[in-house]
Amino acid sequence: MSLVTIAVPSGRLQEGAMRTLEAAGYLTAEAWQSTRRLILPCVDEMARCIIAKPVDLLIYVEHGAADLGIAGKDVLLEQGRDVYELVDLGFGFCRGVVAVPQELADGWERATPLRIATKYPRITERYFWSQGRPVEIIGLNGTVELAPQVGLSDGIMDLVMTGRTLRENRLVEVAELFRSTARLVVNRVSLRSRADAVAVVVERLRAAAAALAVPPAG
Amino acid sequence: MLLERWQQIPPGTRDLLPQETARVRVVTGAILGQMAEWGYREITTPTLEYLDVLIRGEGSEAGDRLFKLIDRSGELLALRPEMTTPVARLVATRLREEPLPLRLAYAGQVFRGREVGSGRLREFPQVGCELIGSSTLEADAEIVALAVEALAAAGIAQYSLSLGHVGVLRAILAGLNLPEQAAAGVRALLYQKDFVGIRDLLDRAHAPVRIVDALAALPTLRGPSALAEARRLVDTPEVQDVLRDLEELEGVLRAYGVGEAVTIDLSIIRDFDYYTGIVFEGHTTALGVPLLGGGRYDRLLERYGVSYPATGFAVRIERVLAAAPSNDDRWAPDVVIAFAPGSRNDALACARMLRRRDLSVTMEVLGRSWDEVAREGLARGAGRVVLVSRGEATVREDDGRERRVALADLLSGRAVLGPASGRRRAREDAP
Repeated sequence: MSLVTIAVPSGRLQEGAMRTLEAAGYLTAEAWQSTRRLILPCVDEMARCIIAKPVDLLIYVEHGAADLGIAGKDVLLEQGRDVYELVDLGFGFCRGVVAVPQELADGWERATPLRIATKYPRITERYFWSQGRPVEIIGLNGTVELAPQVGLSDGIMDLVMTGRTLRENRLVEVAELFRSTARLVVNRVSLRSRADAVAVVVERLRAAAAALAVPPAG
Repeated sequence: MLLERWQQIPPGTRDLLPQETARVRVVTGAILGQMAEWGYREITTPTLEYLDVLIRGEGSEAGDRLFKLIDRSGELLALRPEMTTPVARLVATRLREEPLPLRLAYAGQVFRGREVGSGRLREFPQVGCELIGSSTLEADAEIVALAVEALAAAGIAQYSLSLGHVGVLRAILAGLNLPEQAAAGVRALLYQKDFVGIRDLLDRAHAPVRIVDALAALPTLRGPSALAEARRLVDTPEVQDVLRDLEELEGVLRAYGVGEAVTIDLSIIRDFDYYTGIVFEGHTTALGVPLLGGGRYDRLLERYGVSYPATGFAVRIERVLAAAPSNDDRWAPDVVIAFAPGSRNDALACARMLRRRDLSVTMEVLGRSWDEVAREGLARGAGRVVLVSRGEATVREDDGRERRVALADLLSGRAVLGPASGRRRAREDAP
């Protein structure tokens, strides 16, 4: 029987994902902090972890190259892949918002057509369609907040965590489109053909995520 | 190397080379053959249909995944995204007067208008069958058993079939008594398989904990304990009926001899809206996507004006081939024939005779020397190479030995020229 493969995102969610896998007993701290390898053997000999770019991760899971994966809800919403989304792992909280320069914030409902720069073209387009507003999407791959400052777009749709980046770039949030946390996703065939092995991983990660969840202050 | 435009094909489409095409043909033939043994007769429908005719069957949300075209008179057309809807249209029109049940099979290319770069195909071959006009458990059992036999006939190792029923899910949803908008929201989340979202939505709607738990447990309702577990979770008469049917169906499938391969799996969620009863998927551990899918669709034909119940399934041939990788087989003819000047007639008579005996024969058409033809032919894997010259045939065997045969003996069949020893005929027979 081949190993159960768990895809872990690099970047923003990597540390939270690794801590959850560590708490679930799949990885030692040493194993993930001191290596740049893309395939990590697990403590549990039945599993292994692979590191994938967040935008690619769901492709691995959808095609069964990984049995399970950890992905942000933002990417799940954007890509609409054929995977089972089973557990909210709780970490990596952020919000997807539309933000515009301060001077545009007041009349932004009437500004039309709006040019929005974003890494999430599908979510953005769906949102504006649902509002019945014409929109021109400018798909970028990073530092979206630059676009309005140089006249590339009127506003942006992007993730915010603390809101600092928005403030530093004199952008004001005008609409919230979604809230995102890390989710555990499973390939639809793995869920069946390797049901027992996959169920063990799901339950151990579910328990680890619950244990790691910080109780609200106060 | 940069490819020029004329060297490319559109994303999501494929060229198949001879070996691959042969494998598609063999697997398709094996599955159609299996269906024919069960009395399913093959039909052909057009690749193109009117857009609104397809939407009538597929549902309006399907519009997005259709490959659409406009013809010269401005009619909206679409390439069929699957075959069940075209078959339903055909049954409701030209086969309307036929006695029921109808057992129909099909094989053909289907098309999906997906985004480029999704890693999914936009054109792929499907083989399937439909049993139309019966709502009985016997019909369901026949279709499920035939689906298992199709996987076996296709040469898949370690296949399994997961069998569920949309009735369980529908009853759970009905039990929620949600306002229509929320119910539609739950359905949409179910199709997306977003169980985190479902729990959130139901918590916010203050749905009964019992039902929320039942829905959350859905992905685990599978295997020998699934029926008992479902009975415990959803205690409505409709669900109890469904579960009883599934249990009986399991018994019938054992009698069909396919019980081993079938697992009850109430978490099966099919992408198509038209299913009304059992739903199932075929899998193999070698592949992350289902090999086949199907189920009962009793309301589809209604949309075309006849109220026939129906059940059926379709196999994704390219996935079957991906799940059973071929050994890198090179094909070569059984016999290569070259001829000396003046012996063309004899050589062609010789080729005709051998082809009649079901041997594959190629003629030398490049005008090369005998030795070159012989060496190259044998190196490619041909069984024998024959030079026809002045009433005589020189035969070089694949071990390099040469012998001479009188042409008259060859043509009369006295000098036997069967497949070479140790050589497997038509290697592509193995899928």
